[in-house]
Amino acid sequence: MKILLVEDDEALIAILTRNLAAQHYVVDAVQDGEMGWSYGSTFEYDLIVLDLVLPKLDGISLCQRFRAEGYTTPILLLTAQDNSTAKVQGLDAGADDYVVKPFDQAELIARIRALLRRGSTQPFPLLTCGNLLLDPSTCEVSYGGQPLVLTTKEYELLELLLRDSQHVLSTDEILDRLWSSEKFPSEATVRSHIRRVRHKLVAAGAPPDFIATLHGRGYYLKALEPGADIEAPAFNARFSSNEPTSSRHSSSGDSSAAIDILSEALPAADQALSARLQPESQQQYLAFLNETWRTTQPKCLEQIGILLQALTDLQDDRLSRQQQTQAQQAAHKLAGTLGIFGLTQAMHLSRQLENWLCSSEALHSKQADLMQTLAIALQQEIANTQTIRSSQLPGGLPLLLVVSADVEFNQSLVPVAIDRGMRIKIAPNEMALVEEPLPDVILFRFPPHALDEPDRPDASELWQTLQAYVHRYPTLPILVVGDRGELSDRLKIVRSGGNFFLESSVVPDQVISAAVRLLHSSNLSARVMIVDDDQNWLHMLPTLLKPWGFKVTTLADPQQFLTVLQAVTPDLLVLDVDMPHINGFELCQILRSDPDWQRLPVLFLSVLTDAASQSQAFKVGADDYLCKPIMGIELANRILRRLQRVRAWAS
Amino acid sequence: MTHKRVLIIDDEETIQTVVQFGIKLAAGWEVLTASSGLKGIQTAQTEQPDVILLDVMMPDMDGIATFKELQACPEIQQIPVILLTAKAQTADKRQFNDLGVSGVITKPFNSLDLPEQISRILHW
Repeated sequence: MKILLVEDDEALIAILTRNLAAQHYVVDAVQDGEMGWSYGSTFEYDLIVLDLVLPKLDGISLCQRFRAEGYTTPILLLTAQDNSTAKVQGLDAGADDYVVKPFDQAELIARIRALLRRGSTQPFPLLTCGNLLLDPSTCEVSYGGQPLVLTTKEYELLELLLRDSQHVLSTDEILDRLWSSEKFPSEATVRSHIRRVRHKLVAAGAPPDFIATLHGRGYYLKALEPGADIEAPAFNARFSSNEPTSSRHSSSGDSSAAIDILSEALPAADQALSARLQPESQQQYLAFLNETWRTTQPKCLEQIGILLQALTDLQDDRLSRQQQTQAQQAAHKLAGTLGIFGLTQAMHLSRQLENWLCSSEALHSKQADLMQTLAIALQQEIANTQTIRSSQLPGGLPLLLVVSADVEFNQSLVPVAIDRGMRIKIAPNEMALVEEPLPDVILFRFPPHALDEPDRPDASELWQTLQAYVHRYPTLPILVVGDRGELSDRLKIVRSGGNFFLESSVVPDQVISAAVRLLHSSNLSARVMIVDDDQNWLHMLPTLLKPWGFKVTTLADPQQFLTVLQAVTPDLLVLDVDMPHINGFELCQILRSDPDWQRLPVLFLSVLTDAASQSQAFKVGADDYLCKPIMGIELANRILRRLQRVRAWAS
Repeated sequence: MTHKRVLIIDDEETIQTVVQFGIKLAAGWEVLTASSGLKGIQTAQTEQPDVILLDVMMPDMDGIATFKELQACPEIQQIPVILLTAKAQTADKRQFNDLGVSGVITKPFNSLDLPEQISRILHW
């Protein structure tokens, strides 16, 4: 039996863990409410013991959250408040029992035992075959942990096959047992239901012949060979075929309807071994990373503060050895922390700074400028990271969310998406959207006539969902597929925030290509590096460009050009022409002669307005030439347009 | 695969937390944590984990020094040690092997992959 203990008092954790372990309970202890939620919503527990007063999320709120999300795990509250108001509040929040501190250990364990006894009565046994699990008490069906969305008839069909898994069921038998005697469906009806259930099972990762046909005889469920089945569940306890994947009940009926389809194209052995490819694990891991990032981000920015202060002191030639060590430790911490969130660019910048700071030779104030440039780039990387996405993680795949009730359309996208290295999640209705994780690209498939009849309930809900997404995640790329491409429709889509429109006659390959293109262009916070010896401009430009969300790195000394370029890896470069030692044209030539950088877009920004200078710029490989002074919006537009062109060519 | 106990020694608390969650999620293994070499050695002695994941770059007592200390304790010297190291240090892999570590895992990693990587290194 497994117990989750959510308690912030370390001494109490130690005592309780020891006493419970003596009773052969396995205990996971976490110290705040948010961690309690992360663990409780991710792992299977037989009981949750919750302290009432907890950091981040209090026990009552956590209890309410578990219940609101449909978790039925028994909950025992611990509290120091011995009054009936607190007790009533706790029990009303969904707790099953209540113990007041200080408590007698023996009594607490007896209460835990009693709660576990109460929870153990399963009114209906679960039906399983291989990774397929059907819970008759909740009517939930899942394969390998992924919920299946089935029609009533499809559900009945699977239940029948599961209950009679020892037999081959003929079409006639199925007709007899699933259709009332007043109805006269044909054998073709059974075949079409079988076909649809097979599709859904395959989409959830089942082999195509999971519902096997014995020609001339009928159908039966074919679980994997025992040997082949062992590794996956053993590797991921959550997906064990013999135990319920969750005590969670769908709180909103259809909200669990999203099917995450991942990797049936991969060899079975790889699938079994790569737990990160299991969609549920990946989602939970991602949710956990995002939760952790919320508290880690401010700490990272504090470390950046230490770094920047040290660099300011270095500029003024008053950096003490102790301060340098402190700054080096800050950079080291940053490198480690940022790496675990998949922020590789930021990690490399931190590591570069760490290497300089741990040098045994004394640092010079000259180096401070360069280091400060990188530290500011790092600060922007951290500050601009609001969400950790699966595509960032090592080996992570981008997630395409398809909001569409068109089963045929959805199914046609799956193999193409997988082939193009995307995960695809299908939400047949907008209810499923409330669920995490955040996708990398979202596709809305408008049903026929939804565009010309926007007041229809299904259409208006879809519009509202689209707008809600745009409002909440303004940078999330949105692709709309509809059956009409009139100007007024296109206008409405654009006004609602859709980034790309395709008519429904497109082939799946075009849809996925458009999604991939949007994904590439969605990293809106492009890195822009500006090299200019005019310090006033350098200070002004980041502010001018800020509203467009660019990550701007400025460099005054062209001699540090290559070092900064390689550390920052910009998406676009802005160069001044006249600079000491090396001019902008020469820098551009250096780029154009380098196989790694020859395609980097270069914009010149100079006070020189003469035709000869402009002509020279284009001759050495410039993509654009602008004259100072310039408005922020104009520069931003030129940068954006250039980036869009480059991305369109690249794709 | 049977239940395993992993000890991670890393000075970064966030890394400990994320690795603990990831390994537990992927394989259901128990993960013990220690923030310094010294604490790690103590935990290894009392808890006898099945494997130790050891960060190379730690302040005070670094991973290499910690490994040598671990090897010097007869009751824990048989516990396999896998070093966690940044890519830049890959060139040092040979040196790590000469030391007698069981393997090296390169940072950054996806914690969900760790059970698989550990199992492969240790032939579990």
